[in-house]
Amino acid sequence: MSEPILKIRNVESFYGPIMAIRGVSLDVHPGRIVSILGANGAGKTTLMKTISGVMDPEKGKVLFEGREIQGQEPHKIVHDGVVHVPEGREVFPLLTVDENLSLGAYTRHDKAGIEDDREMVFSYFPILKERRTQEAGTLSGGQQQMLAIGRGLMGRPKVMLLDEPSLGLSPLLVQEIFEILKRLNEERNMTMMLVEQNASAALNLAHDGYVMEVGRIVMDGTAEELLKSEDIQNFYLGVQEEGPREQRRWKRRKTWR
Amino acid sequence: MLDSATNTNETVINGVRYNAQAGQRPLRVDGCTTVPALFRERCKTLGGRTAHREKDLGIWKPYTWDDYWNHAKWIGMALRKLGLKRGEAVSILSEDRKEWAYFDMGVQAVGGIASGVYTTDSAKQLSYLINNSDSRFLIVEDEEQLDKYLQIEDEVPGLVNVIILEDEGLHDLEHHRCMMISELYEIGKQAAADEPDAFEAEIEAAQPEDTAILVYTSGTTGMPKGAMVSNENIMAAIEAGARRLSVQETDQQLCFLPLCHILERDVSIYFPLAGKCVVNFAESPETVFNNLQEVSPNTFTAVPRVWEKIYSQVLILAQEATPLGRWAYHRAIKAGMTRASYMVDNKPVPAIVTVQYKIWDRLVLRNLRRMLGLDRMRRGGTGAAPISPELIKWFWAIGVPLVEGYGMTETAGLATLNTRDDNRIGTIGTPIPGYEVRIADDGEIQTKGLNNFKGYWRNNEKTAETYTADGWLRTGDVGRIDEDGYVTITGRLKDIIITAGGKNITPAEIESRLKFSHYISDAVIIGDRRKYLTALIMIDQENVEKYAQDKKVPFSNFASLCAAKEIKDLIKAEVDAVNKEFARVEQIKDFRLIDVLLTAEDDELTATMKLKRSYVEKAHAHLIEEMY
Repeated sequence: MSEPILKIRNVESFYGPIMAIRGVSLDVHPGRIVSILGANGAGKTTLMKTISGVMDPEKGKVLFEGREIQGQEPHKIVHDGVVHVPEGREVFPLLTVDENLSLGAYTRHDKAGIEDDREMVFSYFPILKERRTQEAGTLSGGQQQMLAIGRGLMGRPKVMLLDEPSLGLSPLLVQEIFEILKRLNEERNMTMMLVEQNASAALNLAHDGYVMEVGRIVMDGTAEELLKSEDIQNFYLGVQEEGPREQRRWKRRKTWR
Repeated sequence: MLDSATNTNETVINGVRYNAQAGQRPLRVDGCTTVPALFRERCKTLGGRTAHREKDLGIWKPYTWDDYWNHAKWIGMALRKLGLKRGEAVSILSEDRKEWAYFDMGVQAVGGIASGVYTTDSAKQLSYLINNSDSRFLIVEDEEQLDKYLQIEDEVPGLVNVIILEDEGLHDLEHHRCMMISELYEIGKQAAADEPDAFEAEIEAAQPEDTAILVYTSGTTGMPKGAMVSNENIMAAIEAGARRLSVQETDQQLCFLPLCHILERDVSIYFPLAGKCVVNFAESPETVFNNLQEVSPNTFTAVPRVWEKIYSQVLILAQEATPLGRWAYHRAIKAGMTRASYMVDNKPVPAIVTVQYKIWDRLVLRNLRRMLGLDRMRRGGTGAAPISPELIKWFWAIGVPLVEGYGMTETAGLATLNTRDDNRIGTIGTPIPGYEVRIADDGEIQTKGLNNFKGYWRNNEKTAETYTADGWLRTGDVGRIDEDGYVTITGRLKDIIITAGGKNITPAEIESRLKFSHYISDAVIIGDRRKYLTALIMIDQENVEKYAQDKKVPFSNFASLCAAKEIKDLIKAEVDAVNKEFARVEQIKDFRLIDVLLTAEDDELTATMKLKRSYVEKAHAHLIEEMY
């Protein structure tokens, strides 16, 4: 496999005195979709924020294309080619769809290229073209999520960080958005790092996966390997273990093997 | 410690009457010769005083000796009503909780034999234990443990009933053999009303030589064997405990090691029957350190692993403290260590050293102890596995008197002990009062005394192997006794490795030295009939992760941590340091790290988290072959 485009080495991040990431190392290879799984409070979002520069790590390195980017200003990192699509969409509600997309290209100055990319976004999300003059706050949740992804694409990223794109969406919409993410990966060779609670959707989309628990990585492997793991099936995919009784409530202890 | 005797044959220790001479028949504690009789005596006199405390919805709640008596009585009477006969076994499969003690006493009071099962045992092991002990009843804690029974219910036809302690998730359960503990209590209340004198009559019927409990020893080879421990054996342990491990009535203890294990059973169920102290049950094995802080026990008995964890916690805290805090910590430890070196050699502490210690104690150590929940601790105990002498000394330095003891199931838990006032670090102490210890020609430690067990349940062959022709118990441990009577263990007789060169080596000695490293949690030395020695090493996850983090060694999961070159180098350095202390043939030429994080459910670990040699050798044969 090629050299990883994004390398994270021993990162520790804090919220005040609370250590949210307790030494995480992982690799993202170009053209791959890497999914980070974990329960609430595992540190997934913090990891994303640390990569995109919203938070500065206390220790450790984030290497993008071999250069250290940890602690840089977020806009610099976007300029370098890492775009963060935040959890909960966070589009600008009073700006129109078009204006939101333009903001996504804030770090760029190639007018023609920006317009090409806008068309590219519309080709993936035709609904946004229909609503391009509408205020973003009036869009449905799914459309806002599409806009957030489209806004991310406008930065012409090399790596996209997607924080829970399925949050609050209907299963059908989740499927639709994940289809589009898959196409983006296949057609444009877009590298993605995906944080998800919806483990089954995430593992079906992703090539590789990492599982985080209380700020540490406890398991990693290809998506197929993870799908086969009994711990993943039990704790993330809701597969019930065979037992002598039907209404079994207890779960065995995780071993992460 | 010894008060004036009330009569010439008796002596009073902390308000409890014992025989003036230890180890003599009949063995009496406050006039009682059996465990049930002592239990009755205590409940009668202490009544409304607190016996146990348990945490319920975040609050510690007291339970009295009256509760203890009533519940044990209902249990005993109900089981008797349901068909339990004297001399029949009852298996208890539960984490530590007050009901564990209720059942232990209830079963014994009506002449039954209580047999504990580890909650980490599999359904298959449970089936073996029920059948081997011929248990008539099984107590399960909750639905998780119940499911083990349901998997094997066809294999255990001898079982009359299964009693469930927690009904959560089981409201819809309908099973002809299962019942909730509340139902059992109702049966017991009725039975007690019908025959008001029967329970006490059963207690009267108990004899010192009756088997009180079965304790299954894990047995690294072959299936577990049930050691029959008699009333007299337990009374002997209680007597020795009272003489060496003094307990006050006002003491608080914390119970968290499995009660199936003889150590915790003695300390948390039987010794308190004599000592009248309060036993606090930890919520779960994971919450021990929090519970320790909350309870702040006066005495605390744990395995070396727990003491190591406390030490690592402090070490990590100190590393992350401010420079001033770090400086103060190091000065305080230095002052403590200076004082400890005098104390462990039983030398008088010079005044200047005492003054320095007092200052640092006030500034640092006192707060440290309070933070750890060790501030009221009069004595800490360690046993069941080897512990580093340096670690014991460190605890003395921070003002926690920690003493090491030795015992096994077959000696009812106690054989030799150090005490606060008579402590020789690095040894396991002197034989308990009234007990004899000798070293056989092959170096084996052999013992004789009233606490030596009756034999293995339905296994005369193994029993015969365990006793010598002249009636001494073979402990299976190899060791020596110094001129002052202090015993030191060097290894297991069975584990002796004979290398291809014909050299005899006791691996435990090398393994213990490895284990004393903070980065190594356990190790197994390989080399029987091989050219040289090698080791399989299990790293201490927390400390090695911390090291990796500090040294910027990237890793994701446990396997990648073990695979990191820096970690291998770290362990190599530890191994090399240990090698320096041994002769050339005893040196470890190569090692491999066990890169799966083992849990108590795994066959390779005992319930006290020690590696089992035979299983480890089998499960990791490929790693061993790599080294030869």
